Amino acid sequence: MVIELVFNIILGAGLIFFMVESMGLPAGENPNDIFGASGFPEILSILALIVLIFITVTVVREKRKINIPMFNLRSADGRKLVINVLLLAGYVALLNVLGFCITTVLYLFSGAVAIGYRKWVTLTIFSIVTTAVLVVVFGSVFYVPLPRGVGMLRELSYMIY
Amino acid sequence: MDILFQSLAAFLQPLTLLLIVIGTLFGMVCGSLPGLSSSMAIILCLPFTYSMDPIAAIVLMVAVYVGGATGGSISAILLKTPGTPEAVATTFDGYPMAQNGLTGQALGLAVTASSFGTIFSAVIMLLAAPLLAVAALSFQSAEYFGLGLIGLCCITSIGSKNQLKAVFSVLVGLILSTIGLDSINGVERFAFGQPFLLNGINYISVMIGAFAVGEVYKNIEEYSHRDTSMRSSQKVSIKLMKFREMVKMWDTFIKGSLIGTVIGIIPAAGGSIASLIAYGEASGRHKEETPKFGEGNPRGIIAPEAANNAAVGGSMVPTMVLGIPGSPVAAVIMAAFMIIGLTPGPLLIRDQPLMLNAIFLGLIAAALLLFVGGRFVTSQFGHILKLPYPMLGTLVIVLGLVGAYSLKNSFYDVLIMFLFGFIGYLFDKFKYSSAALILGLILGDLIENSLRKQIIIGNGSAMGLVTRPIAFTIIIIAVVTLLWPSMKKIVSRRNR
Repeated sequence: MVIELVFNIILGAGLIFFMVESMGLPAGENPNDIFGASGFPEILSILALIVLIFITVTVVREKRKINIPMFNLRSADGRKLVINVLLLAGYVALLNVLGFCITTVLYLFSGAVAIGYRKWVTLTIFSIVTTAVLVVVFGSVFYVPLPRGVGMLRELSYMIY
Repeated sequence: MDILFQSLAAFLQPLTLLLIVIGTLFGMVCGSLPGLSSSMAIILCLPFTYSMDPIAAIVLMVAVYVGGATGGSISAILLKTPGTPEAVATTFDGYPMAQNGLTGQALGLAVTASSFGTIFSAVIMLLAAPLLAVAALSFQSAEYFGLGLIGLCCITSIGSKNQLKAVFSVLVGLILSTIGLDSINGVERFAFGQPFLLNGINYISVMIGAFAVGEVYKNIEEYSHRDTSMRSSQKVSIKLMKFREMVKMWDTFIKGSLIGTVIGIIPAAGGSIASLIAYGEASGRHKEETPKFGEGNPRGIIAPEAANNAAVGGSMVPTMVLGIPGSPVAAVIMAAFMIIGLTPGPLLIRDQPLMLNAIFLGLIAAALLLFVGGRFVTSQFGHILKLPYPMLGTLVIVLGLVGAYSLKNSFYDVLIMFLFGFIGYLFDKFKYSSAALILGLILGDLIENSLRKQIIIGNGSAMGLVTRPIAFTIIIIAVVTLLWPSMKKIVSRRNR
């Protein structure tokens, strides 16, 4: 229950922020535009806040226990999930630095290992082949400008896609 | 009749037939890959059409369009990642059905409904194109507002078991849709000086995050407790519907196709809105059926798939007859017409009657080829599904990332995907509804802008919503559909 309450408080804070921000939006020049740019977000934030209060009251009344492994680092499942989220965060962060090819091979390999896969040779082949297929399909055939990385990696990527 | 035979003769050229096969397959492959839309597939085909006979060129593009509209459902059903925006609603019941071990049936329903919807809209297009195109032009802001409200009716069925949380989720989606430049007076809303937020939040990135990444997170935590032997031995193949089964659900096929055709004809509405409205209609009408909507109801696949493919034929009507594209993809096709030297509009129908018939025949042929193309693309996707989950999960995330990135070649869309992966995961844990959030995000723009425009047109009054008969009827239908479940509960309580 506590985690859900915290979640609802964060949502509520976000909605109040939206409401306050929308109140500060400038009015339009057209007098017939009675809602203006701020009308909809204001109304929606207030409605959402009211609904959220009802939901929170129900949460307090029901006192339901919810298991969220992501927030429970003592459990193996929780650790596995958090490691994967961190790996994904690292993948996203390094994408523009190391480029698509290197980061994707690393992520596919490390992500699967973090979930629990241990057949190293199969995994290595899978990571390299999958990245190659994705680069050919998206980068070469469909001309999607996949991230290239910086410096020398960038120059090298032009030789591939 | 002579013209139809002439069209048939031009259409039955070996090269044209080959192009239809290639176009349908290519469209399906592109549609099934997140990030590659039908419009992108058609743009890629465009350079090849420059030297082609006009009929062959247009038929190729129509085939790609039909294939793309269907292909999106394959990844929506198998990976919970809609390949195209039109396949969003298919995910709601397609993925749960696949999770219940009915993958083949779910794919069969999608292909059959897509094929039916395409043929339905082609026939309507041939019979009543000029009449419908003119009628569609009478749609103004008030009617668009009504359509947006009808789209929101889905919430009663796609929402989580907790309706209050579903309402909250849709409100959050509507709020998120207000981010970016206000399209009426150009005011910057909640962009905080960040240029990437000026165009708003792309719902495809949100969808990939909340659906695909969130689902992978959920599966990772369950991985060690799961029996994976069944998954790897499963063969994924389409199980087509029997005629008897189709007859049982005839109303969903017809209504989905009709909704898709009508929405497709209305300029700028498009297949994604059509599929949501068709889903909302089917789920409202058959609410009591088991399995429930959102848990793998077959009608939850038939309605949106029939609608989004019917919207293909529908969108060609204003494109051909009035020179006004009915969808972004139709706009690309219209550009292709001009490159070939044809100007879409009333004169085209008068001077080039073969063209309308060729599009009709192209739609029919592509619709029939969907069954073959569907088998091929599905079997390729089937190999992916046989991977052990650690590989499949990471692959889904990488595909999602490429899909989000290639929308606008923007890294920010990847960040949005990452953020909504968390939100989707937490929404699932706390029984909020990611589907309702996305519904709000998709329809928010349409609802807000059409209502405000109508009020501006009415000099500050919203009476136009009541005085315009079509708009009023649509709004009444929407309100009744939204309130019907609650009204029914109250009536049954009183009767008891």
